[in-house]
Amino acid sequence: MKDVETRPKKGEWIIVLTILFASLPLILGFALLIISSFSRDMVTDLSLDSFRPTIENWINVFQGRLAITGGIRQNILKITLNTLVVALGVSGIVTLISTLAGYSLSRMKFRGRKLMMLLLLMLHAFPGVALIVGVYLLYRLTFPQEPSFVRLYSFFYVILARAALEIPMSVWLMKGFFDTIPWEFEWSGIIDGASRIRVWRQIMLPLIKPGILAVALFGFLAGWQDLIYVRTFLIDQTLATFIEANIEAEYSHMPLIAAAGTLYLLPTIMFFLTAQQLLLQGYSGGIKG
Amino acid sequence: MKGEKLRNLSFFLSPMIIMVGLFYLIPLIFTIYISFTKMRNWNIERYLTEVVGLYNYQRLFHMFQHDPLMRTVLLTTVVFVGITLIINVFGGLLLALGTFFVNESSASTIRLLWLLPRMSPIAVYSLVWYYFFHGSDIGTLNSILMKLGVLSQPIPWGQIVPWGAWSVIIFVNGLVGVSFGMIVFTSALNQIPKELVIAARVDGASAWQISRRILIPMMKWHFLYVLTWQFLSLLTTYPHLFLLVQWDLVSRDYGTTLALYVYNTAFGRGEQDQGLAAAAAVLLSIIGILGGFVTLKVLQFEKMIHEPRGDIE
Amino acid sequence: MKGKVGVLLAMVVLFGVIASGCIGSQETSETKTTSAELTGDFVKDVLAIGKALESNGVNEVKFSAWGSGDPNSVMRVYGIVEAARRINKVWEENGVNVKITITDTHYVASFQDAYQEYLSKQPLGQAGDFFVNSYAFLPTLADEGYILDITEYANAYKNVIDDFYSSLIEASKFKGKLYGLPQDTEARPLYIRKDVAAKIGFNLEGIEEKVKNGEFTWGDVSYWAKKAKESGVEWGLIHRKGSAHPDLIQFIFAFGGKLYDEDSGKLVVDVPAIYKWLYVEWKFVQDGLLPKDIMSWDWAKQIHPAIVEGRTLFDIGGTWYWTEWQTKEYYGKEGTPRPLKPEEVQAWFAYTLFPAGEKGLKPVTLSQPFIWMINSKAGQQNPKYDELEDLYHKLAFLMVIKASDPDINAIHSVISAHLPVRKEAAKLISDEKWLNDLKNLNLDLDPQVKTNIKDIVATTVHPINAKFLADVSYMLEYTKLAPAHPKYPALADIFKEAVDKVLRGEMTPEEGVNYIIQKVNADPELAQNVEIVGEIPKDWKFP
Repeated sequence: MKDVETRPKKGEWIIVLTILFASLPLILGFALLIISSFSRDMVTDLSLDSFRPTIENWINVFQGRLAITGGIRQNILKITLNTLVVALGVSGIVTLISTLAGYSLSRMKFRGRKLMMLLLLMLHAFPGVALIVGVYLLYRLTFPQEPSFVRLYSFFYVILARAALEIPMSVWLMKGFFDTIPWEFEWSGIIDGASRIRVWRQIMLPLIKPGILAVALFGFLAGWQDLIYVRTFLIDQTLATFIEANIEAEYSHMPLIAAAGTLYLLPTIMFFLTAQQLLLQGYSGGIKG
Repeated sequence: MKGEKLRNLSFFLSPMIIMVGLFYLIPLIFTIYISFTKMRNWNIERYLTEVVGLYNYQRLFHMFQHDPLMRTVLLTTVVFVGITLIINVFGGLLLALGTFFVNESSASTIRLLWLLPRMSPIAVYSLVWYYFFHGSDIGTLNSILMKLGVLSQPIPWGQIVPWGAWSVIIFVNGLVGVSFGMIVFTSALNQIPKELVIAARVDGASAWQISRRILIPMMKWHFLYVLTWQFLSLLTTYPHLFLLVQWDLVSRDYGTTLALYVYNTAFGRGEQDQGLAAAAAVLLSIIGILGGFVTLKVLQFEKMIHEPRGDIE
Repeated sequence: MKGKVGVLLAMVVLFGVIASGCIGSQETSETKTTSAELTGDFVKDVLAIGKALESNGVNEVKFSAWGSGDPNSVMRVYGIVEAARRINKVWEENGVNVKITITDTHYVASFQDAYQEYLSKQPLGQAGDFFVNSYAFLPTLADEGYILDITEYANAYKNVIDDFYSSLIEASKFKGKLYGLPQDTEARPLYIRKDVAAKIGFNLEGIEEKVKNGEFTWGDVSYWAKKAKESGVEWGLIHRKGSAHPDLIQFIFAFGGKLYDEDSGKLVVDVPAIYKWLYVEWKFVQDGLLPKDIMSWDWAKQIHPAIVEGRTLFDIGGTWYWTEWQTKEYYGKEGTPRPLKPEEVQAWFAYTLFPAGEKGLKPVTLSQPFIWMINSKAGQQNPKYDELEDLYHKLAFLMVIKASDPDINAIHSVISAHLPVRKEAAKLISDEKWLNDLKNLNLDLDPQVKTNIKDIVATTVHPINAKFLADVSYMLEYTKLAPAHPKYPALADIFKEAVDKVLRGEMTPEEGVNYIIQKVNADPELAQNVEIVGEIPKDWKFP
């Protein structure tokens, strides 16, 4: 897709090496974490002495325990599932709302449009922490009295609240994607007599696929890694709160935490590996097709 | 016609407006209100109606005057936001350009690698740096430098104030922010017609010339977008600092920004003081809004928002 | 207009009468009871509550238990699980068709995190029904009404309450009311390496007694630490880090200072004692006896290995270290790190009280009792909560009474190396037969509890460990508690910052004291709650 035919090979290696050198701490940090998850000791200094291979950590994590002896056994599958529900929920809501709003901000003329866009940008200035005090109060006031709905409501609320944090960014991003689509497609639809809603759904959505995917990814990652909202509102544990609850410098067996952390990273990496190919197909591929 | 447009607009915009109203507007009003109450320990039944006027603000300003920590917090916030912002924007740009000029598989690998900090769970990410910058000889950085003979004694990186602590928090947050710039710039680069690049290439332009003459000018909007966005989000970020301070990796005084201070006051203490936290949060919001406003004006963001020219009335 | 209002009013009244009639008739026909009196006879009370619940159509009572701490302290939640089983058994044997289910056992490593989680979730009705945490947080929770006042209930169970050590019951009170039952406590001994001591000619014979009667003071600690250092040992002293419950405030007590004024109800910054504390630590660092960056040492990689490998003569630790060293792989002297054997711990470590600061003063130790608290909304996830609140609360109280059974408490003490909170449990620990039964898990326990503590029991239940617990029990007579004052955590944070700066050499002890005073005065709310007394002593010498 790039300028493959004409690119000089020579410069490429310099660039790759420079970037790799800059990435060294990052590679090292994560590599040592993953290696530590297979070791009886944290491997932090480069000496091989502290690497004592074992898969005990992983067995323990899958059994839902984060201590060598003692500790409480937890259902790690359920915890992972909770994380997934939050991540997918956030992703879905963010994508839906920003695809809707992004279209109208990009394509429709109306009074207050500029103000709305500037306002969206400013929204990010409100600190999440400041909001969370207020968001908590709202949660408190809208709380169902019936205890059996509480768990469900906490999922519902945490997804909405967390998604709201991502909305200003994703709406802007989505608007940017819509901006790049030529008007001809839209006109042809409108001239055929289709309503804007139909044009949006039948013509624009297929064209904007890479954008949707990008926003969905951001949403997924945001929900997947969230800690603050999940721990404030959600009754059930997610992987984030599970690890958080088990990290205490004084008692924690760090290699076990490393294994749990690596597990927590896995789906993200896999999800991204597959999705990145789609993303990089790029916009041009979409419009020509 | 008008009715239909209104119907269309509400179809497209109302979900967003509802979300913004529910999770920004109402909570903001709540926060301002709470800053005037004695709210603490989340005891809503008891303190929600206990209005104490400007008490929380008075307390906060008293602390600004007399508590050396509070002055440090302000200074740290300024340094942290300023330097991290520069690193984020230019680092992101360099990475996006760099990966643009290399073959696809290396580019994907590099991008994935640099996305790790952003994708990693905060607790895991903090753990990585906890061991990397550890102040004793078990720390990865110390042990490498000692093996290379650069150091004879381990250095407690995060405890050297102020610059050691600042460097660590800037580094750790910079890595997260860089990927944001990288994603946005990369997607922008992918939208630039390839014909332009290929044509320049045929004319014998180098990677640097292509970047400067063609790519960067076409990404002006994205550049401003990353700059403003990162400024505002750095001002309000704290999750990546929280554990580093908690675990004593960085000095408590020089690792705490205003946003983290707000969080710790509202959540992180034996006695949680939401009234005081809300007052600090309101100050932070004002700074953020003013900062955002100034940025918008200086960068003339408004002019970049074009009317959708092709819309049919 | 008037007529309409009149009609409306009449309808409301009519409706009220009919409705109350319905409710009334229902009650008489089914003889529902919505409360029960506690008599102090456990079985009778449990049956009364069970029958009352049954008559209301409740056949399952759901509770959740929240605990926190090191991984060996899981009886903090399994005690509740076991109590539920014991109560279920009583009901089953007497034909009461009600069952308690523990829906959620939530266990968090850091007790401060657990507390913060409770604080933010309790108002939402999402916190555990049972909550084990430090007594230090009890005043705040009690003050906000987040935990149940059990004073009335406890009156009926005076016989059980009286078996607890009275200082611990005091720690469970706030403004004279009882808000929980003690779950465990501990002491923080000064550990002395026997092998290092032998090398430098430090005779440990009768050292416990010498510390006890104030003969061996911090001056002597410093003297021998120097000797050890001279003989090539890496450090003279290692201590704990962190602010949550700084063990280091033992220095304040050891120098005759105090942290709380009973009369004014205020916290105290005792300047002379604090100065002496900071000075001693500063001097240790200056002499190279104590690492200056100890506050940022890593627990598993640095602090514990330094102690178990004998790279220090003294260590200020906690009783739980004793079994922690036997379960964690800290000892890496022979290559691959491994846990210590009970025999090794016994052979290598002597333990005493925290010595007096100077001659003429008394030794101390510091405890942080953990308390079983009951959520003020306990039982909320159950049907007809509004109606049956009283029954649920009393049942929750009885569960805590049951979870305080001597054997449950003794199991916890042995496997986590905490000290028992009641005399009956202390007796069990010295009972060899019982210990043996525990070792083989030959006890009447819930299968779930058995499986979960099996591996801890295997590594920790040992006569040597039981003897250690019995040996250190006397320390409770010398114990001090940090003030359970809502503002104390803030003060403790300031102490920690000051100590850290002094250790690092960023401040002299004098500057450290002034820093503390400045910080206290910087927050008006804190300043109102703290008295600053005394002055920095002019010509004080150490050692």
